[in-house]
Amino acid sequence: MMPARSMVRMIVANTLRSPKHFVLSAFGIVMGIAAFVFFLGLSTGVRAVILGKIFPLEQVQVVAPRASLLLGEKRLDDAIVDTIRKRPEVAEALPRMNLNFPAYGKGRFEGQDLRFEVGGFADGIDAGFVGDSPRTAELFRDWEIVEKDQPKVACEPAPPDPDEDDYYIPPAPAAPAAPAAGTPAGPTSGTTASPAAGSVGEPAAAPRPRGYKNTCPKPDLYYCDESTRVCTRRVPVVVSPTLLELYNGQFAKSHGLPTINSDLAEFIVKRGGLGRMRFTIGLGSTIVTGSNAKIDRSQRRRIEAQLIGISPKAMPIGMTMPIDYIRRWNREYLGEEAAGTYSSIIVTLKNKDELAVFSQWLQDDLGLRLEDSLGERFATAIFLVTSLFVLISFVIITISAINIAHNFFMQVSERRRELGILRAVGATRRDVRLIILGEAAFIGVIGGLIGVGLAVSCGALVDWASSSYLPRFPFKPTTYFAFESWIWLSGLGFSTFFCILGGFLPARRAALLEPAAALAQT
Amino acid sequence: MPVGGCYGAPVSGSPVICVRDVEKSYGSGAARTQVLRKVSVEIQPGEMVALVGQSGSGKSTLLNIIGGLDQPDQGEVSVLGLNLQTASEPERARLRNESIGFVFQAFNLLDHLTCLGNVVLPAAFSQKDASHAQERGMESLRRVKMAELALRRPSELSGGQKQRVAIARALFASPSLLLCDEPTGNLDSQTGKEVIDFFRELNSKDNVTLLIVTHERRVSSIAQRVIAMRDGKIVETTDEALAEAGPS
Repeated sequence: MMPARSMVRMIVANTLRSPKHFVLSAFGIVMGIAAFVFFLGLSTGVRAVILGKIFPLEQVQVVAPRASLLLGEKRLDDAIVDTIRKRPEVAEALPRMNLNFPAYGKGRFEGQDLRFEVGGFADGIDAGFVGDSPRTAELFRDWEIVEKDQPKVACEPAPPDPDEDDYYIPPAPAAPAAPAAGTPAGPTSGTTASPAAGSVGEPAAAPRPRGYKNTCPKPDLYYCDESTRVCTRRVPVVVSPTLLELYNGQFAKSHGLPTINSDLAEFIVKRGGLGRMRFTIGLGSTIVTGSNAKIDRSQRRRIEAQLIGISPKAMPIGMTMPIDYIRRWNREYLGEEAAGTYSSIIVTLKNKDELAVFSQWLQDDLGLRLEDSLGERFATAIFLVTSLFVLISFVIITISAINIAHNFFMQVSERRRELGILRAVGATRRDVRLIILGEAAFIGVIGGLIGVGLAVSCGALVDWASSSYLPRFPFKPTTYFAFESWIWLSGLGFSTFFCILGGFLPARRAALLEPAAALAQT
Repeated sequence: MPVGGCYGAPVSGSPVICVRDVEKSYGSGAARTQVLRKVSVEIQPGEMVALVGQSGSGKSTLLNIIGGLDQPDQGEVSVLGLNLQTASEPERARLRNESIGFVFQAFNLLDHLTCLGNVVLPAAFSQKDASHAQERGMESLRRVKMAELALRRPSELSGGQKQRVAIARALFASPSLLLCDEPTGNLDSQTGKEVIDFFRELNSKDNVTLLIVTHERRVSSIAQRVIAMRDGKIVETTDEALAEAGPS
């Protein structure tokens, strides 16, 4: 057998000496591989957006079935969580707990007063579950427990403002704070807000003087709690990328607010740090007109929270905080049973293939069910569309392989004398076969590289057109494509494989040529 | 007639070529043509043999079989101690690569390669060290006085120049056997004479064994032995056969 170096040199020289043959052979494979890589990159990119941002599919969610007259209501409690954790197919089971009583939030953002309902739109999860970034992991903690043994710093809470703090009922005796000049920014200062409707509290008798100064150390992190009158760490809150997209896509535009890129930390730093991301939550009050929730007015109080990050683990439409805050508040406002009842349990399976087994056990043994996942449906739809695209690509590639076979048959016929000369000077049948197959493989590699390059270029063109001409919409990605290494390596592999396949029979025919007969060609 | 001393490891004085009872035909059924009929011949080391005969007499077929470029239907062929019927295909390829040089009437140069590229082509298939292939190729071209045109392509050369390049390629591996099929067939008389003189020099100085298929008396006249063929058989090895083979 001829030395590999000589063979490679001969293959490259033979291929490049006939550009027409190269183009005829490679054109189809370039198109096929470009289509294959483009469609696979597109579907992988779209899948990443849909399943990564819109409908995260990392875990399954266990929920209780709707209450029925016969079976009553099934509660998700610690015992259920423990039972699920003991299942062999379960890697992790973490409960979520909804804030199940009225609450509403208020804050200032970019000079605007924002009011929003929190009751029903907030939940809690284990602090360790939200570790998407070191910064989030550091801040997303139950600070009441973390700082339980630390000395408390007494402080003077912000006085009530009847124009703004309409849910606020001051605990007696409430002494007004000494005014401090030059610090207008704060959760309790700002322009007059529209009055809240519904079950809002009674306005305070005296107007609040402007210029309240937060005297707590680290005022960007601590506020003065009005019920305990000690400096208290603000409740850390994360929101989902879904909410961020809805804000960027619709809300920000409607209200003339700046959009927030996915790097929230950068955004926060630009706006003066965490202190600017704070807002108050009025526990027990609501802005929903006609709410039937019965919370005693004396129970209503105000706490402060601050947005610390974005996490796909957060509630899609709402906010998420460490679960113990929610547990304590549910206990405070609704009682012990509410503090021990979870809204759902997030289960991470060791192997996704065991989902069916787990689901069946859940239904049969515990009478629970898995939350219908839109993500699963989208995943199936994406899989089907991807399969169709890949099938089309393979049809193109197969036709290309047939075209390559046809071209190589012609080549072998045209190069009979050349092949005879090679045999006369010492080439074996195997050498001839490998030379032809090598030429086919070389076309495959080059064609594959061009095809991958074409696909990536087309992808870049689509992304550029999208960013330049398409208006912003929720979840509009910066790129629709994910050209992961396995995709282009598969493209190269298939390209080479199909070209070799196309060259197989011509190579066999070339190898079987008798040198004397080949040399007889004029 | 059985041929002795042809098979087994080559020893000094044993024939370079042994052909015994070789038969070859082409086609099948009614279209079958018997090209060689029980041909037997021996050629000793250092001999310069001319193989003459009319067109279709089977001389080129016999040459191709001796060179391992074609397979006989029956009979045995041994070249340089290698039995071509029992040798594997790679063994026959190696024999062609290292020990046999071919010169064809049609030159058989590859047009996409330079003269030097054509000459060093056997090195691409050689298991031997190919690090000095270019130098050896140039040396071969110098021997045929073509070194100046080493980087030209065959399409830029005259017929005589092409044949000289083809001879340089045949000599590249320093073969002990040169098989030539009508080497002067496409050359003018002057160029043909130069080629013949070169063969004679090669035979006398380098002791290369030559088997030359030819129609030309001037080629056969310098051969030490002339073998005449007719209708697939060896008929004579005499001047009469030579005279019958054709004009000079």
